[in-house]
Amino acid sequence: MYWEFSRKSFQRSAAYRFDVWTRIAGNIMFLFMWGFIWYALYYGKETVGGVSFQAMLGYIMISQALQGIHGAGAQLWEIQERVRTGDIAMEMLRPYDYTTRMLFSDLGSIFFYFITAVLPLYTVLFLVLKPSVSLTLAQMGLFIVSAVLGFLIRFCIEMTFGLFTFWLIETGGVEDVFYFSISLFSGSLVPLWFFPGWLEQVAHYLPFQAIFFVPNSIFVGQLKGPDIFNALLGQAIWLLLCFVILRLVWHRASMKIVIQGG
Amino acid sequence: MVSIMRGIGLYSYMVGASIRAQLQYRYAFVMNILGWAMTYAGTAVTMWVLLYSFGALDGWIFWELIFLFALAVLSWGVCMIFFFHFRSLDQYIVNGTFDRFLVRPIHPFFHFMAMKFDVGAFGQFLFSIAAVGLAYSNLHLHWTWQWLVFLGAVIGGALIQGGLLVAISSVAFWTTRSERLYWVIMWPLKSLMNYPLSIYPRLVQLLVVFILPFAFVNYLPALILLGKTGRVFAPFWGALSPLVGAIFFALCFRFWMLGLDRYKSAGS
Repeated sequence: MYWEFSRKSFQRSAAYRFDVWTRIAGNIMFLFMWGFIWYALYYGKETVGGVSFQAMLGYIMISQALQGIHGAGAQLWEIQERVRTGDIAMEMLRPYDYTTRMLFSDLGSIFFYFITAVLPLYTVLFLVLKPSVSLTLAQMGLFIVSAVLGFLIRFCIEMTFGLFTFWLIETGGVEDVFYFSISLFSGSLVPLWFFPGWLEQVAHYLPFQAIFFVPNSIFVGQLKGPDIFNALLGQAIWLLLCFVILRLVWHRASMKIVIQGG
Repeated sequence: MVSIMRGIGLYSYMVGASIRAQLQYRYAFVMNILGWAMTYAGTAVTMWVLLYSFGALDGWIFWELIFLFALAVLSWGVCMIFFFHFRSLDQYIVNGTFDRFLVRPIHPFFHFMAMKFDVGAFGQFLFSIAAVGLAYSNLHLHWTWQWLVFLGAVIGGALIQGGLLVAISSVAFWTTRSERLYWVIMWPLKSLMNYPLSIYPRLVQLLVVFILPFAFVNYLPALILLGKTGRVFAPFWGALSPLVGAIFFALCFRFWMLGLDRYKSAGS
């Protein structure tokens, strides 16, 4: 039944194609910005901390591609808006689980965005810019598993943050904590291996690094051998934990709405 | 003269109403300001992490980079106070509520501009003034006449960014949609300018100097103010910010008026 939501949101994305183009245009512009920043940082240096510029280029390209894919789903502010306006009450009246429905809707719009924008454009970019990536078939498979786990973790965390709106009238602070963590601690812009030691430790104990840093590192071959499996295990544990927290918060939130509606 | 005085009086009155409205929700008011300040502090932390292993970005050390960033945030704060709500002009057009700005005995541009005085911009001031202060002392700067350049950069920067907001909003007069353009043109451009212009290809440099003059918002003034030498542009260019800002804003304003003449109400 939930696949129907995916199909509908796929069709909706197809109807609003202009949105897709503007979004990918922004995404590519940020890719170029970060490309030039890293190029300037690396200027005159072969490798920094054992990482070459070509590997770093691969890192930011895959990071930007993944961020594009993540961004095609419902955003934090949309979830907040739905809670704030009370639209969510209508959703709860219907015979399905709200968070699962959101996940499947996201899958639909993401799939459209992926096949029409991210996949063709980034294939060309990878062929033209030729960053160094380690692409054995096995590693590619592990990367995909890791990226999917990362996506689900991000979904659970974003949804949980969105549901906090049930308790808060003004969500400004919560939002900023979320966006800051997701941009810095996830390693989406700067990989964790360039962090100062203590900050890297902090980041390793947070769930955000499981979203972008782990799949990106597998993709460029910075994570190898048994380390990959440890990282995947870590992701699986984070996913389980984030999922449990999401369900708990959702449960409490639905109780809350019953009280307010009574 | 009388009409200008009347305009200023009206503007202050409407701004007063707008501030009072925003002060009704104390918690939201404070969180809004703190939220903006925290967002910028977050970007500053990212810059610090970025430079931790590398030391400098094209010759710009951490505090110079922070100064460059904070200068842009400061003038963006000034710009936000006056022009930020132009971003959502298209919603007024789509809903047909824009018409009310046309039937009142005030200039529609002025009326729309006075509609909101965004106090969230104090978050920008909180961050940027603290950051400029810290950079000033950490870089051991001693400005005299440079304060004039600094002031000029803030005014010019606010006009340049405000001008682009106004120009983007006027697209809605033709297409009824413009907010997307903000996210495609202005947001990436603003992010681009947080880093030294010299790292980008020549084409981008020419674009932000001669067409959408964002180089005059922070990069060119920062060259003078930090006593750096640009490889391509002479530092004195940075002193021209207010002039460039005035010309660019005037052009954008003309474009807005052109759009207004074409405007046909979408309301039924």
